[in-house]
Amino acid sequence: MNIRWLIRSQTMVTLAAGMIYPYYLLFLKNLGNSFTKYGLAFAVFTISSAIASQWLARSVDRHGKRMLVASSIGMMAAMAAFPWVMSYTVVLLLQLLMGVCCAMQKISERTLLADLTERGNRGKTMGEYQFWTSVASGLAVVFGGYLIDLLTIDALFYVSAAIYGASAWATWRNNGRGSASAE
Amino acid sequence: MKKTFALALLAALCLHTYARFQSPDQDPYLITDYSRLHPVKVSRVVAGKEEEQLRNLVREARDKGLTISIAGQRHSQGGHTYYKDGVVLDMTAFNHVLDFDPVRRTIRVQAGATWGDVQDYINPHGLSVKTMQSQNIFSIGGSLSVNAHGRDIRNGSLIASVESFRLMNAQGETIQVSRTENAALFPLVIGGYGLFGIIVDVTLRLTDDELYRTRTDTMDVYAYHSYFEREVLGNPDVRMHLARISVAPDRFLTDMYAINYVREDSVPLQAHNRLRERESGVLPAKIMFGISRKSDWGKDALWTMQKALFEREKGQLISRNNAMRSESAFMDYQSATDHDLLQEYFIPVDRFAGFIDDFRSVLARERLNLLNITVRYVNRDEEAALSYATDDMFALVCLFNVPLSEEGQAHTKQAIQSVIDRVLAHKGTYYLPYAAYPSAAQFHAAYPGAAAFFRAKEQADPAARFVNYFYEDYGKDARR
Ligand SMILES: Cc1cc2nc3c(=O)[nH]c(=O)nc-3n(C[C@H](O)[C@H](O)[C@H](O)COP(=O)(O)OP(=O)(O)OC[C@H]3O[C@@H](n4cnc5c(N)ncnc54)[C@H](O)[C@@H]3O)c2cc1C
Repeated sequence: MNIRWLIRSQTMVTLAAGMIYPYYLLFLKNLGNSFTKYGLAFAVFTISSAIASQWLARSVDRHGKRMLVASSIGMMAAMAAFPWVMSYTVVLLLQLLMGVCCAMQKISERTLLADLTERGNRGKTMGEYQFWTSVASGLAVVFGGYLIDLLTIDALFYVSAAIYGASAWATWRNNGRGSASAE
Repeated sequence: MKKTFALALLAALCLHTYARFQSPDQDPYLITDYSRLHPVKVSRVVAGKEEEQLRNLVREARDKGLTISIAGQRHSQGGHTYYKDGVVLDMTAFNHVLDFDPVRRTIRVQAGATWGDVQDYINPHGLSVKTMQSQNIFSIGGSLSVNAHGRDIRNGSLIASVESFRLMNAQGETIQVSRTENAALFPLVIGGYGLFGIIVDVTLRLTDDELYRTRTDTMDVYAYHSYFEREVLGNPDVRMHLARISVAPDRFLTDMYAINYVREDSVPLQAHNRLRERESGVLPAKIMFGISRKSDWGKDALWTMQKALFEREKGQLISRNNAMRSESAFMDYQSATDHDLLQEYFIPVDRFAGFIDDFRSVLARERLNLLNITVRYVNRDEEAALSYATDDMFALVCLFNVPLSEEGQAHTKQAIQSVIDRVLAHKGTYYLPYAAYPSAAQFHAAYPGAAAFFRAKEQADPAARFVNYFYEDYGKDARR
């Protein structure tokens, strides 16, 4: 059973996400919102994520991998759009989109992890998974800081979008192998 | 194996980052300003919210013997907004419009508001600020305290458009200050760097928003003065002006281009007066600017690119309010070892070419990394006690990239002092919100009214409640 591709693609996803996440908060603050309005933006994210999970749950067993690809493409679009956002409403719309993407990513990632590992023999793989995704976020966050100092936060959004794109591609390339339906 | 390597890489990166950003200006518990020079610990930072609270703060400071430094957007660069162990009063939350009279064309606004806040408010009424900086990010209180100036060539320094303001003095009383009430304070507080008390709110005179068509010209530094007299000042339709001098090694301080904003009556303003919100082209500009910071060919390439962009601006329509909110984000620069600092020299218009020749030789000798020079015009206006416009002046705004190390700073200081010597030789002055490189003797030569200014400060605030590093560097021994 080959789980390496999943670890690789999800490491990329953590890289892309970890790079932007702490700075994303600063970015929202720069739009001039109060802390309450931040809170709201994140609540919107969780609502959309919750609703999407119910609707996606039905097909995750069959389309896990497609969902991962779709999630990365959605996040890529959101990241590329952020530098152009000029209103809070659009931020909320993007939060909605990202909520759906997050649901797709989380449930398909977990399902695939379960599918690709065996009961009683999962510990090692889980450890690997955690290790690589953690290291990736660590690198991403430091690198993200350097990149903003050197260029702009917009540049960071674009780099993050590019990495999401690469993760979508890396997942897609493995089509047919490893997904639950192909087992 | 792979894991050990990955972990080691991450740890090494963290250590490297820690070591590199160990300098005091990166310490989040110290305070500094836009310059990142001279970080210190202050006792606390207080956000100004209401007048009553400001009064209590001043009284508390008096009772406990604390000092107060006043801060707006903290874009001054010489420690004007803080003092060791003192209280920093952050005025930025004190930012409401209090009164607006579109018929008299005046606005009364709290001192922490920015020009951007004012523009947002008055743009729908077809009105505009008379004099402000080229960018709209600065606070009104900070702008009054430096007596700012910008691209407008017809309205003088900021003091000319101030009708009155309210000041909270060292005794904690709020007084009205204008050219008729408490008139002695008017020219001391404006351009007074926060040393006479807290500017609470300001009544400003406004002008009409207008539509301009940009006109661009190129020339060399020797032709600029007569060009300016003839084509710019001599044409009453030209309302704003900005020029740039090449710092590219190929054309070092010889080539110039100018951009003029010429009144355009044939097109209705309404089609063009939506305020521009988004800065465009920041990323490529920042990359090009970054390369020019580090290399000569980068400077040549940037000049070529700027000229091309500038050609594209020719004939464009732009409202006055939009012309007064120019881009700034591409200039932001964060590096642990060096920083971009501004200096500004005011040179009498007829001395311009002579000064540039001298400036060029000082720069060649001192090897300063000069990134940009823009030129504006301010007409003679000696109303403010510390007036820089002692004559009709060209203002040369110079952006230097300087090392932050001790030796680097010592060299920069000595080099800037050589520049100031040339400025003074040409009967010029220099701008005071920037780093305190000039010597006390140079300061007094440029500002002969300074001794009287500091005597008045001592009278108004005998306990030295309102202090900052500008006061410490130039005021302490200047009173007699
Ligand atoms: C990138 C850049 C561009 C600039 N461009 C221009 C320009 O085009 N034209 C120009 O004239 N200047 C320019 N400046 C210089 C200058 O720093 C600003 O004009 C002005 O100081 C900025 O306002 P601020 O709100 O940042 O003031 P701060 O730096 O916060 O304060 C400046 C001074 O005002 C005092 N002060 C602030 N608020 C109050 C108050 N409410 N009551 C009493 N005192 C107060 C402070 O104590 C301090 O002494 C520029 C500076 C930078 C860094």
